Amino acid sequence: MADTTAPMEGERRVTFKEKLAEIFIYGKSMVPALLVLLFILVVLFGAVTPYFFTYTNFKAIISNIPIIAIMAVGMTFVILVGGLDISVGSVLGFTAVNVALFHHMGFPAWSIILVCLGIGALFGSFNGVIITKVGVNPVITTLGTMALARGMASWFALDIESLKLGRIFDQNFLLIARRYFPKEAQLIPITFIYVIVLYVVMSLVLKYTRYGRSVYAVGSNEYAARLAGIDTSRIKFSAYVMSGIMASLAGMILVAQLSLGRDDAGLGSELEVITAVVLGGVSLAGGKGNLLGVIISVLILGVIRNGMVHLQETIGISYYWREVVKGAILILAISIDAARLMAIKKRQVVRQ
Amino acid sequence: MGKASEVLSRQKGEKRFLLSSNTILFIFLIVMVAAFAVLSRDFYSIYNITSMLTNIAFSGIVAGTLTLVMIMGGLDISIGGNIALTSCLVAYLYNLEKGPHIGLIILIALALGATIGSFNGFVITRLDLNPIITTLGTMAITRGMGYVLTKSRSILILENVVGFIGRGTIAKMPFPLILFIVVYAALTIVMTKAKFGRKIYCIGANQEAAKLSGINIRKVKFITYLISGIAASISGLILTGQSAVGMPQHATGSELDVITAVLLGGTSLAGGKGNILGTLAGVLILGVLYNGFTMIGFRYVHIRVFQGVILILVVSLYEVREKRSY
Repeated sequence: MADTTAPMEGERRVTFKEKLAEIFIYGKSMVPALLVLLFILVVLFGAVTPYFFTYTNFKAIISNIPIIAIMAVGMTFVILVGGLDISVGSVLGFTAVNVALFHHMGFPAWSIILVCLGIGALFGSFNGVIITKVGVNPVITTLGTMALARGMASWFALDIESLKLGRIFDQNFLLIARRYFPKEAQLIPITFIYVIVLYVVMSLVLKYTRYGRSVYAVGSNEYAARLAGIDTSRIKFSAYVMSGIMASLAGMILVAQLSLGRDDAGLGSELEVITAVVLGGVSLAGGKGNLLGVIISVLILGVIRNGMVHLQETIGISYYWREVVKGAILILAISIDAARLMAIKKRQVVRQ
Repeated sequence: MGKASEVLSRQKGEKRFLLSSNTILFIFLIVMVAAFAVLSRDFYSIYNITSMLTNIAFSGIVAGTLTLVMIMGGLDISIGGNIALTSCLVAYLYNLEKGPHIGLIILIALALGATIGSFNGFVITRLDLNPIITTLGTMAITRGMGYVLTKSRSILILENVVGFIGRGTIAKMPFPLILFIVVYAALTIVMTKAKFGRKIYCIGANQEAAKLSGINIRKVKFITYLISGIAASISGLILTGQSAVGMPQHATGSELDVITAVLLGGTSLAGGKGNILGTLAGVLILGVLYNGFTMIGFRYVHIRVFQGVILILVVSLYEVREKRSY
């Protein structure tokens, strides 16, 4: 065939392959790559089991993700400012125990919610003060808080054991996670609506407010941010407080879903939260990433968790592989992040 | 560090007497032992001290090798998972109908630790990944494989041959304690006399400078993570021997104990600073603390809280001390 659109001299035609590379490797965000991954996974699980595509299963997936999704918002802020918070799982557990305790003391639902949000904020501020004022490494600080919060959860739970494992009966409290959106049709669980609202609001905050821009500024270059007049300690402090509050919010939703407040709630969930955020394209170095990528990767993890159950039922692959898969995805996610950064840097050097 | 600050304070015309951190740690240790001996009668008995030292040996060995990793500026959180998987694998192989000889099982266990360590080393050096997140991933993978292997049950080892590693004695010395002493002696020699130790300090203090001075950074890092993996499988063997059971929940949270001990010993997470003697003090202090508080009548959950507080407190103190000395 005659090539009618022959390229001009000195101008190369962009091949399909290069276009792909432009989107997936050099592109600013991981979102297209994540969407492709999500699509592949859905097709794969759908092919294995027909049950995967039913509405009941869809509802199961979206009522399972809010816990991780909500904690991921706080973690995104912390990683954006260049920190890390390993204590979220323990703060969740401590919140769960406190819900049970206050419930058995007879507090009304609204006061339990306020107190628990306060607990999250308190742990967050504790982390924030130690990290910004004393200058201790965030990993070590939150590792300490992790032991502290989980230990206190088990300590307080020693009394609950006699109270039938922290069962919760307060309908007002349970309803925070058990309503559905169109009340009659029972289509969308309210927890999923919380997630959507939270992500939309926080994305807007990150993108359009002075505070959100400062978060990115502190993460990409703290020194420059300070010279530009940003109170860097305050921004960092606020990120840890946010993370603590989100962890306790997730804790309350978990308790309301299970109607059970136990001290081992959220054990190891910090791993899943960090995986979600890193897989979503938020760089561990700070200052790069957005919440859209994070919510897609939360969905990916939710689909995997759900799909693994089906795999056990249909092909007989043990559900215990889930931990292995989780760890492998985490390492894969940071490898891709590192490889992308290397490729971008290489191209910049070549162009210069 | 110590010398530099002395020079500085002399320049300012101050006369300040700075104890080295190791001296402070050992004084603290002695005070603690004395306090517990007064508070509890059973603490100061030969039986309790032997069992305490055996427990210390278990986490102490990994703390020793983790010191190397942390001086180099890295971190290895996968030790707990590695220990659990080792114990599961040993119990699993031992209970096979035509299982391999016990000697072979021990070799396989050590090879497993070496494989996990080299995986960490390979991924971290080749792709230049964040060691914390990488080993967090390896932790999930190893512990998860323990669950897969045992189907989340505990596997008993009835005629316990591995028991010698955990409970045997040579001339009335518990075998784990002998292992512990040998490992610490070897690590002290490596870190003070051998070239390899110098290289580790060099990389931790300034990676770029180390690279420019001709040190093969990738190789040194790789070997250090490898050693950490092997040490974890040795600890796994000790734990399996002591408990005579392989289960995936073994050593949950032990990475926290070990990291706390190393940080307590004055090794900084930023790298380039620390020594084996400090870690020894840290390990002993934590061991005595656990044992002593249990003897007085505290429960595990209380001690867990103290441990978190101690970790944050001690690291904060080091941070403040460092700021003062400049």
